[in-house]
Amino acid sequence: MDTQFIGEHLRPGQLGHFFVITSFVASMFSAFSYFMAVRTEQKDPLASRSWLLFGRGGFVLHTATIISVFVSLFYIIENHLFEYHYAWEHSSLSLPGKYLLACFWEGQEGSFMLWTFWHCMLGLVVMRTAKGLETRTMAIIAAVQVCLCTMIIGIYLGPDIQLGKTPFALLRNVMRDAPIFSSPNYMSFVQDGNGLNVSLRNYWMVIHPPVLFLGFASTLIPFAYCIAALWKGEFQTFIKPTLAWSLFNGAVLGTGIMMGGAWAYESLNFGGYWAWDPVENASLVPWLVLIAGLHTLLVYKATGRALTLTLVLLLLTHLLVWYSTFLTRTGILGKTSVHAFTGDGKALTYHLLIVIGLLLLLTIAMLIRRWRGLPRIKTEEETLSREFWMFIGSVILFLASIQIAISTSIPVWSPLAKWISGKDFAPPTDPMLHYNNIQVWVAIIIGILSASVLYMKFKNSDAKTLGKRLGLTALIGAVMAAGIGYSQRITTWQYDIMLFAACFGIVANIYYGIIVQKAKFKNLGPSVAHLGFAMVLLGILLSSYNKHAISYNITGEIFNPGKKTAEENAKENRENEILFHGVPVAMGDFIATYEGDSESITGKDRIDYYKVSFERKDSNSNKVLDRFVLYPDAFINSKGQGVLTVNPSTKHFWNYDIFTYINGFTPDKGRIDTMSYQSHIFHNPGDTAHLQNGYMVFMGLNREINDKRYIPKDSDLAISAKLMVYDSSTRKSTELNPLYILRDKQYVVNVEDTLPNMNLYARFESIVVKSQDSVSTEIMIKQTDPKDDFIVLKALVFPFINVLWLGVIVMVLGFFISLGNLLGRQLSKG
Amino acid sequence: MKKIHIVILVIVAAGISIIAASFGQFSSYQTFETASKEPGKKLYVIGFLQKDKEMQYDPKKDPNHFIFYAKDKQGNINKVIFNGEKPRDIEKSEQIVMMGYEEGGSFHCSRIQMKCPSKYKKDMVAEGNNG
Repeated sequence: MDTQFIGEHLRPGQLGHFFVITSFVASMFSAFSYFMAVRTEQKDPLASRSWLLFGRGGFVLHTATIISVFVSLFYIIENHLFEYHYAWEHSSLSLPGKYLLACFWEGQEGSFMLWTFWHCMLGLVVMRTAKGLETRTMAIIAAVQVCLCTMIIGIYLGPDIQLGKTPFALLRNVMRDAPIFSSPNYMSFVQDGNGLNVSLRNYWMVIHPPVLFLGFASTLIPFAYCIAALWKGEFQTFIKPTLAWSLFNGAVLGTGIMMGGAWAYESLNFGGYWAWDPVENASLVPWLVLIAGLHTLLVYKATGRALTLTLVLLLLTHLLVWYSTFLTRTGILGKTSVHAFTGDGKALTYHLLIVIGLLLLLTIAMLIRRWRGLPRIKTEEETLSREFWMFIGSVILFLASIQIAISTSIPVWSPLAKWISGKDFAPPTDPMLHYNNIQVWVAIIIGILSASVLYMKFKNSDAKTLGKRLGLTALIGAVMAAGIGYSQRITTWQYDIMLFAACFGIVANIYYGIIVQKAKFKNLGPSVAHLGFAMVLLGILLSSYNKHAISYNITGEIFNPGKKTAEENAKENRENEILFHGVPVAMGDFIATYEGDSESITGKDRIDYYKVSFERKDSNSNKVLDRFVLYPDAFINSKGQGVLTVNPSTKHFWNYDIFTYINGFTPDKGRIDTMSYQSHIFHNPGDTAHLQNGYMVFMGLNREINDKRYIPKDSDLAISAKLMVYDSSTRKSTELNPLYILRDKQYVVNVEDTLPNMNLYARFESIVVKSQDSVSTEIMIKQTDPKDDFIVLKALVFPFINVLWLGVIVMVLGFFISLGNLLGRQLSKG
Repeated sequence: MKKIHIVILVIVAAGISIIAASFGQFSSYQTFETASKEPGKKLYVIGFLQKDKEMQYDPKKDPNHFIFYAKDKQGNINKVIFNGEKPRDIEKSEQIVMMGYEEGGSFHCSRIQMKCPSKYKKDMVAEGNNG
């Protein structure tokens, strides 16, 4: 007999699962109906029309149920129903409300749902706008939705084969072997969930995944349009919508990728915004291919050339998104990535491979079917035409993405390579150098092309005007590059050329926008996007080339192509610095001091904030030029047996950032009370006592007390001691005034005085009056050893990183200006 | 043949040769034994933390110096010197991937990636020090 379990809420999960299944069936129905609408298009327009309506209805139902799935899962998470594995795994009672959404997409199932959701939203827009291409595009979109639904359907095809993973699985079913689940009241033991991974607990986790997934999802639309065009065998109507969607896609996916970079930079301790990490590459590669396809599409629109390459690139973009899902979700990158993705094992691997295989098959079949009939132009392009160079630029972008994809996919192809060559391939020992050495040339070529291509016209350009304009802007760019290169000491020649390409791009696109296009806003899209791209190049170069640890120096290491011995590199890697409490340490131009820590406790989790002050002084006048305090924190999770997670803290200046994070701290926090007070007797003013890092001078006693800490009473006898404490490290003197109060002639109240910088506690213990001239004052002194309180800090400087962020914003703006212009023209045409 | 085809062909050929040449930069997974045959050469060794042997890390003396012992897949135990802070939770790791070079009987490593048991799977892979 089945056990009756107590305290479970089964309804939301049952409803949720019902919605998943309905959604799956609805997407199948929609795909089939749209497909039938295409089939009957010629023969029976009336039937085609009704199939179309069925298809629409199916897709709307599919969308509605996907939203219901969302609501059901959110209800479970929000109400902390830990009988559900998903809620137990990803949320906890102490999790602040704003992160409930974040734990929604922390898991595999949730992120597939997010992806499905965006496809629905985009699909609804396509349904309303695709007109003559609606049946075909929507058939593709709905078919892809069928594939995605299988990812979250979680039904068993056999005793051991589960298709997809449902987010509504019960904890007791997932962990069937654990003995507590055999007891009917197991819920009374499951009080709290695992909680969200601490390094994911920030606002980036709330906004980054939706944007990135919108970027991934919108690759489906150009894909669908390209397939639709091939299917129909008609290659004109698809141009405009595909262009509009590719622009949107480029903007959103670009934003998503750089948000990931900003997140890594702001709150993860990877030590930078880009590390050529496999997971980062997996989203960059589709973007590069998309941008290449966008440009060849423009060529096709203007000249009728490059259709084949356009189709290949835009179709490939969406396939690459699936491939990157395969890389990041199946755990195949386990050995090579710092991102903590866990594999869901073989089931997901095969599942994704089947989906990718089906989509690839569809793509190839469609291409082969129409290959001979694709419109091509026999004549030659002029060398001075825009299309000639755009085509070359696209091919180079495509090759660049292939290089990144091959290096990233090492774990995928290494078993084969091992079988052939016997060598067990591993990633390069210095991945940054590996990618940078190759991609710097791509940056140079693309930078120069994006600077000059707008000056050329489609078909042919006037060589004289072109030469004059390019010569002038290149000259200004070169002067700018020389100035920056000299002042920023960029000495590696490849990077000097890249610097020129970036400066040329900035000058040329500003000049083009203002002088040639006369700053007409609606036409500015391309030049603004190219300007943003050039700024991104400049920002990357400036911030990364001179990125250095001020806790130790590693300047230029990742950019230095010269072979160094391993020892030299190892020496340069010593980036950590130990800071003892109150002891100033030189860090670059700054003097850094660890001033102390404070705790904040949210729920059961403790966060320690470490206060580190930075001061920059003028070396001659000793005047303080800059002073700021950073609070890098360390987080101790109450559940993971004291697992430590740290968040960095960054100070932003207009021209550089200082980025710090904690790598370690005093293991034992109870240290202060382990030290005991020691007695010092002072007889006369001028008597001194030695301290660990200075000394204390007794200046005398005072009956006149003006102290906020003391509220006088009539019966009190109150005395304060005046103590001057000299700190030999800061060379400053501070006065301390501990109080001795005899209240009602009966009992003594001691008011301590403390000097936090020196960890010094002084208590006025007693006073003995022997005669008028002989008074002995007993002061109890406690000083904790500063060596018992320390942090291990890493501090990095990123110069001019704001140029990068600004460049990204400008580039995305350029995409949207172009998109607005395109849609505006369409609207005005009716 | 069109001009553009020749240009593209040249670019593609150049691209392929650059990519092919970059294969030489790929490293390989080795054992302590094979690593000691090529002292000073940077490579990867996959191994396991020897929990019964002593770990030395005294940030007061040098926060960038951590010594431990690891056993590779062949079962050889080697001393490892890591130029960085002691990775958090290394005690819980069930596998570690070390990047570095063998010299003077010990493995000098500048990057560590750990694989932790599924109980702590959220901290599964951690990086010691960039290099």
